[in-house]
Amino acid sequence: MLLQVDNLKTYLRAGKNIVKAVDGISFTIDKGEIFCLVGESGSGKSITALSVIQLIPKDICSHPDGRIAFRCGDLDGNGERETLDMLTVSEEIKRKVCGARIAMIFQEPMTSLNPVFTVGDQIIEVLQIHWPEMDDAEARKRAIAALAQVQIPDPEVRIDEFPHRLSGGQRQRVMIAMAMACEPDLLIADEPTTALDVTVQAEILRLMKDLQERKGMSILFITHDFGVVAKMADRVAVMRKGKIVESGSLDQVLHQPQHDYTKQLLAALPENLKRQRDLQLIDNPTPIAVAENKIDEPALVELKQLEVYFPIKKGLFRRTVDHVKAVDGVDLKIPKGQLLALVGESGCGKSTLGRAILRLIDSTAGTIAFNQQEITQLQRKAMIPFRRDMQIIFQDPMSSLNPRMTIVTTLIEPMAVHGIGESKEERIEIARKILERVQLDGDHLWRYPHEFSGGQRQRIGLARALVLNPKFIVCDEVTSALDVSVQAEVLQLLMELRAEKELTLLFITHDISVVEYVSDEMAVMHDGKIVERGPTADICRNPQREYTQNLLSAVPRLIL
Amino acid sequence: MTHKAESMVAETTQADERQSEKAANRSYAAQVLREAFIQWGARFGLFWIAVLAAVAVFAPFLANSHPLLLSEGSVISSPMLQYLTMGDFVMLAVFITVVVLIFLNIRFYKKVLVLFTTGSVTAIIAFMLVSPPQLTVYDQYRVKQAAGAYDWVVHAPIPYSPKDYIRDEGDTGLEAPLASEERTHWFGTEENGSDVLSRMIHASRIALGIGFVATGIAMLIGIIMGGLMGFFSGAVDMIGMRLMEIFEAVPTLFLLLTFVAFFERSLYVMMVIIGITSWPGYARFVRAEFLRLRQQEFVQAATACGLPLRSILFRHMLPNGIAPILVAASFGVASAILAEATLSFLGLGLVDDPSWGQMLNQAVQSSTFNWWMALFPGGAIFLTVFAYNLMGESLRDAIDPNLKKSAG
Repeated sequence: MLLQVDNLKTYLRAGKNIVKAVDGISFTIDKGEIFCLVGESGSGKSITALSVIQLIPKDICSHPDGRIAFRCGDLDGNGERETLDMLTVSEEIKRKVCGARIAMIFQEPMTSLNPVFTVGDQIIEVLQIHWPEMDDAEARKRAIAALAQVQIPDPEVRIDEFPHRLSGGQRQRVMIAMAMACEPDLLIADEPTTALDVTVQAEILRLMKDLQERKGMSILFITHDFGVVAKMADRVAVMRKGKIVESGSLDQVLHQPQHDYTKQLLAALPENLKRQRDLQLIDNPTPIAVAENKIDEPALVELKQLEVYFPIKKGLFRRTVDHVKAVDGVDLKIPKGQLLALVGESGCGKSTLGRAILRLIDSTAGTIAFNQQEITQLQRKAMIPFRRDMQIIFQDPMSSLNPRMTIVTTLIEPMAVHGIGESKEERIEIARKILERVQLDGDHLWRYPHEFSGGQRQRIGLARALVLNPKFIVCDEVTSALDVSVQAEVLQLLMELRAEKELTLLFITHDISVVEYVSDEMAVMHDGKIVERGPTADICRNPQREYTQNLLSAVPRLIL
Repeated sequence: MTHKAESMVAETTQADERQSEKAANRSYAAQVLREAFIQWGARFGLFWIAVLAAVAVFAPFLANSHPLLLSEGSVISSPMLQYLTMGDFVMLAVFITVVVLIFLNIRFYKKVLVLFTTGSVTAIIAFMLVSPPQLTVYDQYRVKQAAGAYDWVVHAPIPYSPKDYIRDEGDTGLEAPLASEERTHWFGTEENGSDVLSRMIHASRIALGIGFVATGIAMLIGIIMGGLMGFFSGAVDMIGMRLMEIFEAVPTLFLLLTFVAFFERSLYVMMVIIGITSWPGYARFVRAEFLRLRQQEFVQAATACGLPLRSILFRHMLPNGIAPILVAASFGVASAILAEATLSFLGLGLVDDPSWGQMLNQAVQSSTFNWWMALFPGGAIFLTVFAYNLMGESLRDAIDPNLKKSAG
């Protein structure tokens, strides 16, 4: 037994309130085992990890109860293994343990490396702190070895790079190298792949598993993604509101969940939503199935050789030396009533494409036609009648609503511009109905955005898009910032509304399982170009292009 | 109109409900103000400015050679009221409206509107009706009172006007504070024998006025220019930036000196010059804020809804980007006051009316060092600038999330 957590309680103070972030949890991690803590945001899984390594500032947290017994290797050099209680241990010993015996990897690789030091300096510093007798040459050799171990190409050269020259995936590898440099007994990984693309995620996960097996260390792996859990975990614990509701072996928890919450979470996964729908479809074919035959319909949105280039300017006269080709010659037809999913990794230009269609970003070449009318060159004023029919819903529920405006103002202002409703109270009535349609309380009209949760805000975003009664909506990563169960509700709502109002949707996402659930057709985008397009089921089952094959095989799947 | 009233009622009841809710649900502006003015420095600053504003508005009531009320042969009259100018009336009206509006629960832009209407209406009425006598003989009251012509007289707390030069009363004009037995000059007199405290009270109008008006002009130009630059970027931004650099290259003080040397010494010209040379600072702030906000999704959503540009710029973007400008403004007021004081100190300020800088100048020019003439106006300038800087600083801290102590 490496780590034993007994009835751990971590309370956080926020002003005068006390938040019971971790409320009496117990678990153990054996040597050489990967233990996954899974839960939705706010369930206290990260706080648990930070409590184990004692990284929460003392002035905002307290541990009224609990014990964290860590059986660490030889500390004082007398060859004995000793067991430490991390909650009571002195600062000095804690410093020796952290980094050397327990290491941690964080979620955001972009900010977890210090931008003013080379990656080598940062690894060498860790090594020399824990082994003061190590000289510079030896430390450098060890650092290069550590980088080689995480499969960074040309480690001898890359060691002198600054973090900004590395990609997100490489930075996360450097973080792992840093954490592994002292060969810790326990590695805490707090959502290490959440900020990465699926293909990079697959590589990092493979690397972590590989290293773990070779070094025989234990990993406390924190994630919200059941696909990742299925790939990594030996044992799983499901957390909710600071408590562990269920724990057991991977197989047990995923396939025979005992607790209702675990069942709910699993049922909310897009893979399962799809399965449920497919089962229903066999019983009674719904209009959604008919929608697939609508290919012959005239295109509602038609793009021809659309290009969006951002100039790269250099020198004294700001001459344009090159372009970033965000969208590079895209031809796309979206027939009326179709739900087209646009899939791609970050930076492939999918969001830019979505915004270019709505003329929120000016295109550099090519044409956009909406309802057979060309809108590519229309001036601001001339665009206004089209705005009514084309709407967008954004990813980030925090920034997509004006924080200084009540919901009612946000909703009725566009109606007034487009002349919907005769008077103010009629518009308020419409807004109330739409708010109720997206399953919110009508009285929420009078509140400000900060009073809502992420899922509620996303519904308000949906309501804002719907008030104008549009024909076409671009959904830009609408569910990526949401927890699974909330994601499931929002997706189901979107599907209902689509059927009800005969909407045409461009659904931009990076999440293949969501695509499988929602879409009839999908298009895969890579480096500003559309590499493959076709019915979703066909592409997922039998991808033609190499890129699509790689992308699909990288997706962590939960086989149920 | 009824539906408006109804929705207003709904809004206010909602507002009441919200107020009763937890502090977390307060509006952002209220939260920032609360946080800023919880610090003693900002409270002191606010207190000093409030005192100064009240003193400036009620200056004729506080320091005036004209008695507030007198009864002559059982006819009651108020010479002070007769001598009130148009400016005095407008200031009084604006001050009263501001006090009333603070306690009124209506929208901010409506408040501004009400304020401007009352101000201009009073100005027009006062312009048509008020005509103070051209000639003022301050001594007449003292002579008449000595002769016992009045039944009774109510004097102002400081019974001397700023330009009441009582040279003929004694041999010398200069008097240290409370030096004379017959007359009470709390802060002494200057070389022409006029009361220093009275001059300072009347000069506070200039100090506050130039601060507010010059900063107001600069903010107005800055917000419009910066907003357009930030929203449109590209060529507009390029031209705007060059224009800003041109204006920033102009040395304000020397421009002021040149203007004063060539043209008349007018307070309004000073306000305008300080205003139009200091807008680039505000424009930079607004531009940066707008460049950031333009990428925000709620602004994109507003564009996608086809809202007019006016609404996007001023309803959606400006309220979210105004906070840093307010901070800059409170520092700007301080520097405008300093600029005027500098100019007056150099002897190029207003000819006739007293101002704090000019009083300092008098202290220096006198053959002997008269401490009271330097200490009091100098202290007033120092305290006022200090007060604005304190407020600016704590506002800046309040809007800066990095300086906030947050849990988790």
